[in-house]
Amino acid sequence: MTIHRTCFYRRSSPRTLARGLGLALLFGGATMALAGDIKIGVAEALSGGAAQYGASIRNGLALAADEINAAGGINGDNMVLVVEDEQGKKEEAINAFKKLIFQDRVLMLFGPTLSNSAQAADPIAQASKTVVFGTSNTADGITSIGTYVFRNSVTEADVLPTTIATAVKHAKIQRVAVLYGNDDVFTKSGYDNFKKALDALKLPVTTTETFAKGDVDFKAQLTKIKATNPDAIVLSALIAEGAPIMVQARQLGLKVPFIGGNGMNSVKVFDLAKGASDGLWVGSPWSLQNHSKENTRFVVAFTQKFAVAPDQFAAQSYDALHIAAAALQKIKRSGDIAKDRAALRDALPGVQWTGATGAFSFRQTSDKNGHPAGYDAVQAPIISVTRGTSYDIVK
Amino acid sequence: MLELQQQLFNALSLGCVYALFALGFTLVFGVLGVVNLSHGAVFMVGAYAALTAINQLHLPLWAALLCACLVSGVVGLIIDVLVLRTLRQRNVPHLIPMIATIGIGISLNALAQGLFGAENQRFPSDLLPQDALEISGLHVTELELGIILLSFVLMTVLLLALKKTQAGRALRAIAESPRAAALLGINVQGLFMLTSFVAAALGGLAGVLIGLYSNALFPLMGQPVMHKGIAVIILGGMGDIRGAMLAGLFLGFAEVLSVAYIGSTMRDAVAFGLLFAVLLIRPRGLFGSVRERTV
Amino acid sequence: MTMDALDTFWSVYSNLVLTLGTNALLALSIYLTLSCGMLAMANAAFMGLGAYAAALLTMQANAPFGVALLAGMAVPSLAALLIGKPTLRLSGVYLAMATLAFGEVVRIFILNTQDWTGGALGLNGIPQATEWWHVLLAVLLVCLLLERMRRARVGRAFEAIREDETAANLMGVDVTKYKLLAFVLGAAIAGLAGALNAHLTFFIGPNEYGFDRGVEILTMTILGGINGLLGPVLGSCIITLLPELLRGLQDYRMVANGLILVGIVLFLPRGIWDPVRLRALLRRAPR
Repeated sequence: MTIHRTCFYRRSSPRTLARGLGLALLFGGATMALAGDIKIGVAEALSGGAAQYGASIRNGLALAADEINAAGGINGDNMVLVVEDEQGKKEEAINAFKKLIFQDRVLMLFGPTLSNSAQAADPIAQASKTVVFGTSNTADGITSIGTYVFRNSVTEADVLPTTIATAVKHAKIQRVAVLYGNDDVFTKSGYDNFKKALDALKLPVTTTETFAKGDVDFKAQLTKIKATNPDAIVLSALIAEGAPIMVQARQLGLKVPFIGGNGMNSVKVFDLAKGASDGLWVGSPWSLQNHSKENTRFVVAFTQKFAVAPDQFAAQSYDALHIAAAALQKIKRSGDIAKDRAALRDALPGVQWTGATGAFSFRQTSDKNGHPAGYDAVQAPIISVTRGTSYDIVK
Repeated sequence: MLELQQQLFNALSLGCVYALFALGFTLVFGVLGVVNLSHGAVFMVGAYAALTAINQLHLPLWAALLCACLVSGVVGLIIDVLVLRTLRQRNVPHLIPMIATIGIGISLNALAQGLFGAENQRFPSDLLPQDALEISGLHVTELELGIILLSFVLMTVLLLALKKTQAGRALRAIAESPRAAALLGINVQGLFMLTSFVAAALGGLAGVLIGLYSNALFPLMGQPVMHKGIAVIILGGMGDIRGAMLAGLFLGFAEVLSVAYIGSTMRDAVAFGLLFAVLLIRPRGLFGSVRERTV
Repeated sequence: MTMDALDTFWSVYSNLVLTLGTNALLALSIYLTLSCGMLAMANAAFMGLGAYAAALLTMQANAPFGVALLAGMAVPSLAALLIGKPTLRLSGVYLAMATLAFGEVVRIFILNTQDWTGGALGLNGIPQATEWWHVLLAVLLVCLLLERMRRARVGRAFEAIREDETAANLMGVDVTKYKLLAFVLGAAIAGLAGALNAHLTFFIGPNEYGFDRGVEILTMTILGGINGLLGPVLGSCIITLLPELLRGLQDYRMVANGLILVGIVLFLPRGIWDPVRLRALLRRAPR
């Protein structure tokens, strides 16, 4: 119920101001955090290129916050989300983090959306001994920053090998071509992990092609790939490029299956690549088709509140807030922000939770000098393949 | 052999895509003398206008195209009347209008995101046949053929208009020197407005076509296309219509062939290296004959 | 009480304040080339070269910060020297575009040399070595240098070239030498800004030094006006602070940003810092 936004008030007559405040309180648009409330910072990309992911993440957090508060909050206290827009830019992420940590004095924070921003902003949280919980950061070099950095976004390194192995087994794949975006951290690091997995499986690669973010035409690369006759195409892309790639491949007569990374796991593919979306293999910690009790409840609640089906980002942020809440229930809050932040950090690693994304626990990583650092996700990936308008889970 | 043929066709269609965008872009520079960095936003406006026309008003494709041209054209006109004309009257240094167009572009992109959301959208798939035709082994879609045809037709129409019509001659006079043209009694302001409208309409049209081609509509869709557009108009000679067309094709071929035979990672390096080289050796552009205006 | 408040302010806004400083340096670097009549848009690329050079030195070679800063200035200067001779023959918009293209070439170069620059993944874990006094010192020194230059023969030569290049040439001013000087010095300043910025934010990537950054720097300078050193500094402050000030507008923040830009261009086309207009205003003010 409570998403506290920094408000922008114009100077106005007292009467209109009072009326405005009254209306705001009435609709719950802007409320002040009360004394016993627990402030949780949220720094996500709500504008700019990554806005669709950031909005999804924020919605998942909002849904979870509502549920927790409706069930009595954390030992009777409400959770209040303090939301800042970090615009998908690393400087803004740093500024947003600083504001949340030092000015709003949040107990912990979620975000940022992009891995690049996390690499720049997470050290700030680490240095100020505040837990930062990433729900969408999958690149290397993030949890190794320090012991206050957590994430529940399963890294590509953990998912991709399983995806390829499953696809190879079911689709009888013997050679692949690789296509990836070489100017974006996410797609590039996805490629690095794909390559490692392919090498480990000793799967021959017929050719490796690249594209750039914002490209509209992929026919040159796809024609070249077609000429090398692969059994499948390994694709490390986001949906914005991935969907056109699938459409153009089918138009060129290239009918082999695609093996995709995290970015391709979105129901939007059925709309954006309509008629060409079959045969896409993805591995992910979450699937819309997973009919577990927790996931079904999540999907229904999300669809009801936001009038659109959730995606992986929403599912992970939803689970993340529940995980954090589980830790918060266990600690005794003293009111001294530094002590409480430290207590939360100590309670978090032990949390085990089964949510929309399934059974979850943390695993500690180490930094580049071998010392223990932050916490990654331990979660089994679900492999699905597209058929018609849904992702069918493959065991 | 078949692969080469397909790649050559890919190059042709990609080149026409670039040329479509560059036509409007170069027109504004040639006549108004302004590097209009809001052209990418206008391109995007056209695409979204067509999408709204199809989804909300249930218009057929040809009507949506017209709608896109109209809406973009009007936006371009407003930009000219409100902003560019004011700056012209004040005789400001020539970089200032460019900065103003940057601001306009930022606002339009953000407005689109506020109105339509940041997520990718696409035109309904039943507008055009999605499957490709197979013509002697080549995979060709109707859309690609349409784009190629349309860009050549548009270029020819523009060239003829500039050469043969009264307005066209007046525009060429203005491109030489606005002051001299005004002295000759030419309605300079009116023609500026016309040019802004036509250029923006062309941009909007390009937006719809490229939106159909790529199946990807999003608020920032004009930005990457604009970067390529800048390269195209430099290569072709800024302000030169034929140059824009030829340079668009040239860039398309350079990109596709470098992917096919050098390696896709080197694609952008080749394109911009070429651009750099052309600028050093022949700054007027490969095909251009227009000099930078001094007065 | 005030010490606490100051402390909190610094914790929240230190990054912003220091970014004001590095942006001011960038704006000044373009101002330098503009004062010579050149629109060179490569400064974002030079910033990137400086950032990477400095960061690689501190990360791989454990070099002291001072050495890294010097390298951050030397590498772009060298690049400027190399491409300066041929590119500076161009003028106006062509020079702008050529230097923009150079910027793209640098970005692509970084993307493709993953082994030592990290490619698309960028450089992560840069030691946070920039202190507030580094930035302050850099800005003051650069301002001092540029002011001295303005008053010296160099400055007059720049102005002559900006007014009319052919005439200046005929008068015996070595146009090529001075333009190259402005270009290379501008590159050095941009490189310094890049090096300082890299050690402020832990992480740099190739996409930060492309077209968008180049346009942003240009906007800062033109906004502030090139009628004096205060102009670029003022312009950079406004552009840097605008997203912060508009934070409350949520989704429509960028709309306001763009509109403000257009507004300033329309109503203050010579830039905000325009001593001539200000003097006229003051004269007109009552009493």
